[in-house]
Amino acid sequence: MKTETPMLQIQDLHVSVEGRPILKGLNLEVQAGQVHAIMGPNGAGKSTLAAVLAGKEGYEITAGDILLEGQSLLELSPEERSHAGIFLAFQYPVEIPGVSMVQFLRAALNAHRAAKGLDPLDTADLMALLKEKAQLLKLDPSFLTRSVNEGFSGGERKRAEIFQMAVLDPSLVVLDETDSGLDIDALKVVSDAVNALRTPERAFIVITHYYRILQHIRPDVVHILADGRIVRSGGPELAVALEEKGYEPLLATS
Amino acid sequence: MQMVTLNPPLSLEVGAQHLTQLLRSQATGEGLPGEVRSAWLTAAQTADLQQLFTEQRYREDWKYTPVEFFRQAWALDTPRAPQRSADIAERFILPEEVRGSATLLPAVASLPQPTSPWEAFLGAARYAQHYSMKEGAFLLAPSHGEGVLPLLITISVAAGGSVELLLTPQSKGLLVLRVHLHLAPGAQVRLYLPTDTQVSGTYLYMLLSAHVEREARFESFDLTAYAAWKRTEQKVRLSGPGAEAHLYGAARVQPNTLWDQAIRIEHAAPHTHSNQLFKSLVHARARSTFQGRIYVHREAQKTNAYQSHKALLWDATAAAYSRPQLEIFADDVRCTHGVTTGFLQGDMLLYLQARGVPEAQAREMLAGAFLAEVLDRVPHTGIQEHLRHRLGLPE
Repeated sequence: MKTETPMLQIQDLHVSVEGRPILKGLNLEVQAGQVHAIMGPNGAGKSTLAAVLAGKEGYEITAGDILLEGQSLLELSPEERSHAGIFLAFQYPVEIPGVSMVQFLRAALNAHRAAKGLDPLDTADLMALLKEKAQLLKLDPSFLTRSVNEGFSGGERKRAEIFQMAVLDPSLVVLDETDSGLDIDALKVVSDAVNALRTPERAFIVITHYYRILQHIRPDVVHILADGRIVRSGGPELAVALEEKGYEPLLATS
Repeated sequence: MQMVTLNPPLSLEVGAQHLTQLLRSQATGEGLPGEVRSAWLTAAQTADLQQLFTEQRYREDWKYTPVEFFRQAWALDTPRAPQRSADIAERFILPEEVRGSATLLPAVASLPQPTSPWEAFLGAARYAQHYSMKEGAFLLAPSHGEGVLPLLITISVAAGGSVELLLTPQSKGLLVLRVHLHLAPGAQVRLYLPTDTQVSGTYLYMLLSAHVEREARFESFDLTAYAAWKRTEQKVRLSGPGAEAHLYGAARVQPNTLWDQAIRIEHAAPHTHSNQLFKSLVHARARSTFQGRIYVHREAQKTNAYQSHKALLWDATAAAYSRPQLEIFADDVRCTHGVTTGFLQGDMLLYLQARGVPEAQAREMLAGAFLAEVLDRVPHTGIQEHLRHRLGLPE
């Protein structure tokens, strides 16, 4: 029996970076199974929102709270947030020379399992899981033994992010401009994989500039973020209106 | 692998014989290659060091090396019952397959302790040993208890020979080890210098010199998992066309310890090649120093020389000093050098943590990846695996 508590509640969130306010009273509720799109002009605070959800250092939360299934995230380290079910697909996934994808995901997956009181996966099970998920993203199995993101093209990096998401099986996924730098074919592979991973238990927040990705990953709710707050929310038709008219008329009437 | 029987285990009598031979050859210049004679510590050099440690006289090549460590080592200078060579094998931390594949050179533990540090330097000749080799793998593990042990070893590798040497000093106290290698034309030497003793209070001062003749190739791997104080000086002279030197170093500089490299590579002939790759991971209140000098003589045209030192600081109390020095007197050469010093990158750490890897483990993964660049180049798989484990790298 599911409770009424939303998957994610962001309440009156104020965030400053080096003393400068970026988020100025952001409110958002996401239910399990939903896909929310957050769109907005440059400098609106989209990437700050993603960074704060992941627990990146250097962001000062001056007011408000973030609740995941009713529990505040603010005191949790990035790894504890991950164990709690948050997954952030980075806009610019970093290269980590010398750490292979297998080594990395073994550590990550086993830390998740340890947090749930489970024993580590043995190597055969781990490899079977990784190969299965690699196939979903049409990734060559050889990439598992390569260093994380090293020498990957933009498209490969984004696919590798979604691959990791599939492996770690999170409850809340934040896609931070995952569509940037993707050609149409790569966008389709990534979107198909995300759609395949949509379940009634999992929620997605898709942060993007462009309508394009929302044609593939159909959102339930679309929000417009401007100057640190959500100024408009609506159905998929809001994204269509943005595509046709741009931000200015929509922001002017808000 | 071919096994070679070497000199019998060194007793005092045998040691005295060696000494007599060496002194005689030094006097007459017979029996030893010319370069070997230059390996002796002269009285002037000894006086130099004495001044350095007692008066703290300014010396450019010791600029970043705190000699208090040395004084601490002297303070340990209370002669103890010397160890028997049979005990040494049991104290090796290296795995059996590495030990088993090499011939054990005689230990020197049964030699008497000098009574003062200065006798230690002056007395280096008293403990000198000389080996001539052609093929094989050799393990040399000078070992002693507390106190100061000086040792001079000269090794000549015959023309076209191929020798692997593993030098693993074990001591509590100060070990001053002077090793001179002579590579005849076409000879190949691979020298491993792992230091991974878990004995606290290990002080090592290694002075290596190599004379590399035409078409000969010298490789060294200075791999440090732990030493309280370790200074390695490597002086390599490439004296004939086609001579090569490849120097690698990886160190985990543990809290409150010192790792110190002083390198001089001399290109004295045309078409010579040298490469240095050193990486140090520096923990809290520890210090890493790297001084690398490349000297290209006027006649050494078509020289290729590369040098890279990277230091990774574990926290704000760690210190790294890095100084490349190039002196080039030929005009048709290719020389590059690079130095980086920095902390673990926050964005890499966040990436690993955001996927659920606990911070401490994430830092270890990044540290391991940093040192792996050097470890991956260690050709002996047994040594590589052992050091990976001791340095905390993934298998």
